[in-house]
Amino acid sequence: MIEKKVRIINKAGMHTRPASQLVKIAAKYKADFYIIKDGFQINGKSIIGVMSLAAEEGSELTLKFDGPDEKSAASEIIKFFEEGFGEP
Amino acid sequence: MHKLKKILKSIKEVKKESITVDFFYNAAKERFKLTKLTEGNNGLERIIRDKHIHRPGLALAGYTGLFTYDRIQILGNTEMRYLRQLPASKRTQSLKKFFSFEIPCICLTFNNKPSEEFLELANKRNIPVFITPLETTKFAYFINDFLDDQFSAQIALHGSFVDVYGVGLFFHGRSGIGKSEIALDLVERGHRLVADDLVMVSKKADGILMGTGTDLVKHFMEIRGLGIIDVRSVFGIRAIRFQKRVEVIVNLEEWDSRRHYTRTGLDNETIEILGVELPFIRLPIFPGKNITVISEIIALNYLSKHYGFDPAKALSDKLDQAIKNKSKGKLQVGRSVDYLEHDFE
Repeated sequence: MIEKKVRIINKAGMHTRPASQLVKIAAKYKADFYIIKDGFQINGKSIIGVMSLAAEEGSELTLKFDGPDEKSAASEIIKFFEEGFGEP
Repeated sequence: MHKLKKILKSIKEVKKESITVDFFYNAAKERFKLTKLTEGNNGLERIIRDKHIHRPGLALAGYTGLFTYDRIQILGNTEMRYLRQLPASKRTQSLKKFFSFEIPCICLTFNNKPSEEFLELANKRNIPVFITPLETTKFAYFINDFLDDQFSAQIALHGSFVDVYGVGLFFHGRSGIGKSEIALDLVERGHRLVADDLVMVSKKADGILMGTGTDLVKHFMEIRGLGIIDVRSVFGIRAIRFQKRVEVIVNLEEWDSRRHYTRTGLDNETIEILGVELPFIRLPIFPGKNITVISEIIALNYLSKHYGFDPAKALSDKLDQAIKNKSKGKLQVGRSVDYLEHDFE
């Protein structure tokens, strides 16, 4: 299992576009992917789950990856966060 | 171990550490008919950490050992009448001592108006005072229940949560197995959706779990291939509800020929969520199986058991009886009707 803390750095936060992109990336992998915010753990492969986090700029999330391809899942998803979802 | 049980073990429950008096007041003012007597926003930033309440009779009488001042203080007829009958100097002394503690807030019941001195001290010390027409026991019960809920354990669980014939069925299963589609089908048949995909589950009292949707998502739902739909706007108010007791966990799983599924329903499996044991049903699915109808039966069967009739046990008892009779030579395998008459019904 891989656990990593990330921060939302783009201005608009995790709105619909990055949220849907995130679940698309996560769905490619076998590994389970969870996001923890405010103590609540949600499934990172569920669009409704990711959107209900309403993660704004500056908020801190914990990402959890668990499964056979967790390493590649983690590296792609963490990169996506670190790039601010490709947004300013 | 079952996957859901593994997930439940890995999730930490969330509990609020504290609420502000402001939050309490805003949530309680209409429900419990509270009116604020102190000036402006004085002391509303104070923190409530304890889910219990306190009636400070002894503290007012002068004994402040073990005084749980950090709870909401409720003053009813007894306390107020006691204060009223005290000689002025004693009363001042008692109130000064009482208000020297960092009390989060004070609630006066039965519309017991406080003296000017009381309010003056409260304002000076920035301790909010509220008044309610409710009687003390009733008010204390409401506040206890409210605080119990505020400080209760919560978790977020993935699944679809539907009220089927008044029974809260929680559908769990891997993503893409069709939970939302089943929920939609149940709504179509007149049942009510509580939440889809993400359900906030809270423990309410011992042995009771309540589920609701999240504030943001409410009755939105994702259907693969369609995207996001809003059940409330499509089906109207009859198709939704905002909260429901979680009563049965239905786990949807692919048919696995190596697994033993219950054939009688006598061997009831349960699952523990937030310390509450709930019936756990493993429902194998395969094409052509109508999960919606089976879900309705699950709900009706649950109700039937709740009202004292367990079909599996009933048939099992009948079998026992039949075997007993047979050993006396009375019964043989045969028709349930002795003589088939002409109407062929």
